[in-house]
Formats: sequence, structure tokens, C-alpha cells
Amino acid sequence: MRTLFKTMKLASLALLLGLSVSVTARAQNARIEMGQLDHLGAKASETVDVNIDERLMHLTAKFLSGKDPDEVKIKELVNGLKGIYVKSFEFERDGDYSQADIESIRLQLRSPAWSKILNVSSKKEGSVEVYLMSNAAQVGGLVVVATDLKELTIVNIVGPVDLEKLSQLEGQFGVPELGIERTKPKPKN
Amino acid sequence: MKRLLVPTLLLTLLWSARDSVAEAKGDDFGAVVKVVEEFYGVKHKGIPFLAKAGIKAATAAAHLAGGSKKRLAEAGSVKLAFFEDQEFSAKGGFSDFRATLKARLAGRWLPFIQVLSLNDEAQTYVFLRDAGPKYTVLVVTIEKHDATVVQVNLAPQTLAMLMQNPNDIGKAIMDDATTTDDQE
Repeated sequence: MRTLFKTMKLASLALLLGLSVSVTARAQNARIEMGQLDHLGAKASETVDVNIDERLMHLTAKFLSGKDPDEVKIKELVNGLKGIYVKSFEFERDGDYSQADIESIRLQLRSPAWSKILNVSSKKEGSVEVYLMSNAAQVGGLVVVATDLKELTIVNIVGPVDLEKLSQLEGQFGVPELGIERTKPKPKN
Repeated sequence: MKRLLVPTLLLTLLWSARDSVAEAKGDDFGAVVKVVEEFYGVKHKGIPFLAKAGIKAATAAAHLAGGSKKRLAEAGSVKLAFFEDQEFSAKGGFSDFRATLKARLAGRWLPFIQVLSLNDEAQTYVFLRDAGPKYTVLVVTIEKHDATVVQVNLAPQTLAMLMQNPNDIGKAIMDDATTTDDQE
């Protein structure tokens, strides 16, 4: 009986340790789970799904030209990034996706590691939410949730992204035009 | 001499056909061709002669250093399978086919990009795999009546260049693989 108790205690400790390691690992990882949205592909008239992992990011940074000014800009931008993941759905009818679908993303962004830095919504143009994960002084990643009555786009950038240059990523690496720069608050005089 | 020529030609054709089938059976390229065949109940035309008719080179190829003659795919790495004038109905959506394809390549290939359009009844899937110093890219495009499966090896710098615009990568590789040098 004593052996059984000891074994259970050890097992509980191992479980707790495992859980805390897993929570820490998840907290440090800015990659969010988006696979739960795949079912929307069955209703969507257009679906785009882009997965650029760390290895591919390194490859891009390594082989972009250091001479071409445009490529230099992109190289600076993607240097250090660990991934870009995009899921975008366009629908024929309103309401083909539900609030629960968006909530499944927002729920992951409610942890203390994430903070919402931008929230712009309009009845005509839909809404754009930008979430940032920051560890101490460094940005760990970013999530953009762009919704419209007939459109849902999630962009997940993993790694130290430069917010000032974020709009330069639009139209590159599968990141759609989100109008992030246009929706930034104007500085006060 | 003439009496020997015909049997020799026949033997050569049979030998190359045998190689093509063995190749298709032995790797993921062949497995993907089979997935398309089984899912849609179609048959492929494995010899790329048909493809070499009138398909223009991708503009991406021309952007590469070295001019328009520079190809994307590494020499000798192209594998092609065509499906022409057959039915690829998208009425039931793409989810089942997408899931089947992903499951078949899971763990070995990165599902790099998928672009699906129900209105155009068009599907493009691009999978990537590390192949030592190079990358192997597998592209599956399916339209209403035609489909193509192509596998090529790309140099890392070529892939890096194409990755900036991943939405066009499938088309660029497909066009490159189905274009002969004299068409450029």
C-alpha cells in the first residue's frame, strides 16, 4: 500500500511537472492552433492556407539578395522570424462562419502573454484585431484576425516581427492585404 | 537491319513504360497520382508529351538571374502526370480530397500552400520536402476537367525566390515543368 501511495505521488509529481513544462512551452510559442478552422473549407468559395515554417524562413532570409533594395527590406523583415501561417476563407453568404470559429482563435490569445494592440471595426469594412506576444523586451509573435461578413483571415507570424514594418509583409509570403497601416492610430500633434 | 529496328523500338518503349510505372509505384509522387485516380475515378496520362504543347513559360522563370532560358526545376528531376478531359466534380467540396491528400503525405511533406476555389472548381496544393541540398516540391492542380501532378527538385535559392509569392508558386512550377526550351 505504501509502495502504491509512493508510486501515485511520484506519478502526480511527474504529471504536474509535465503540465508546467507544457504550459511554459506553449506560453513561449507564439504559434497558435488554426486547424480547427479547416472545416470552413467545405463552405468557403475561396480558401488559402499557407504554412511557412522556421526552416523555410531561414532559407528565404539566407538567399534573398543583399543588393536589391527591395529584397534587402524583406530580408531585414524576415530575419529571425520563425514562421508565417495564414488561413483565409471567403464565403458566398453571410454567416457561413460563426462567432465560435473566431472565438476558438481569440481564446488562445487570452493568455497573459498576449495583448491586443489594435482593434478596428466597421460595419462596412469588417474588423481587424492585432494581438502581440511579448516576452520581456522582445516581441515573440503576432496574430491578425481580420473578419468581414463574408471573409475570415487569420495571420500568425511567429518570431520577433518589427511592428513598424509589418505592413511591408502584406502581399508577401502569403500575407494578404489587410490594411494594417491604414488602420493604425494617427499620432497626436 | 530494318527487321531489327521495329522490335528494338518496341522493346525500348516497353522498357521506358515499365520504368515509368515502377517509378510511379515506388514513391509519394506515384501515391499522389493514385489518390487522384481513386478519389475521382479517373486515369492519368503519364507521358509528358501532351503537356509540351503550347504552354507558356512562367514569368517567374524569366525573373531568375540568367534570363528566360533559366529553368526553375533542377535538370532531370521532373515527374509529371496528366489527367485530361475527365470529370473532377467539386460539387461535394474539396474537404474530403484535401484530407485524403494530406493524410497520404503526412509526416513526410510540409503542406506549404493550398489554394481552393469553389467558384472556379480549382484546387492547387503545394507540398515541400527537404532533399539534402535541394528541396523537392510536389504540386497538384485540379480543375473542372483537367488535373496535373508534378514533382520537381528546386535549388534553395530558387525556392527562396518563389516563396515571396507563394500563391503563384504552383503555377510557376507547373508552367516550368511543362515548357520545353524551344517554347521559351
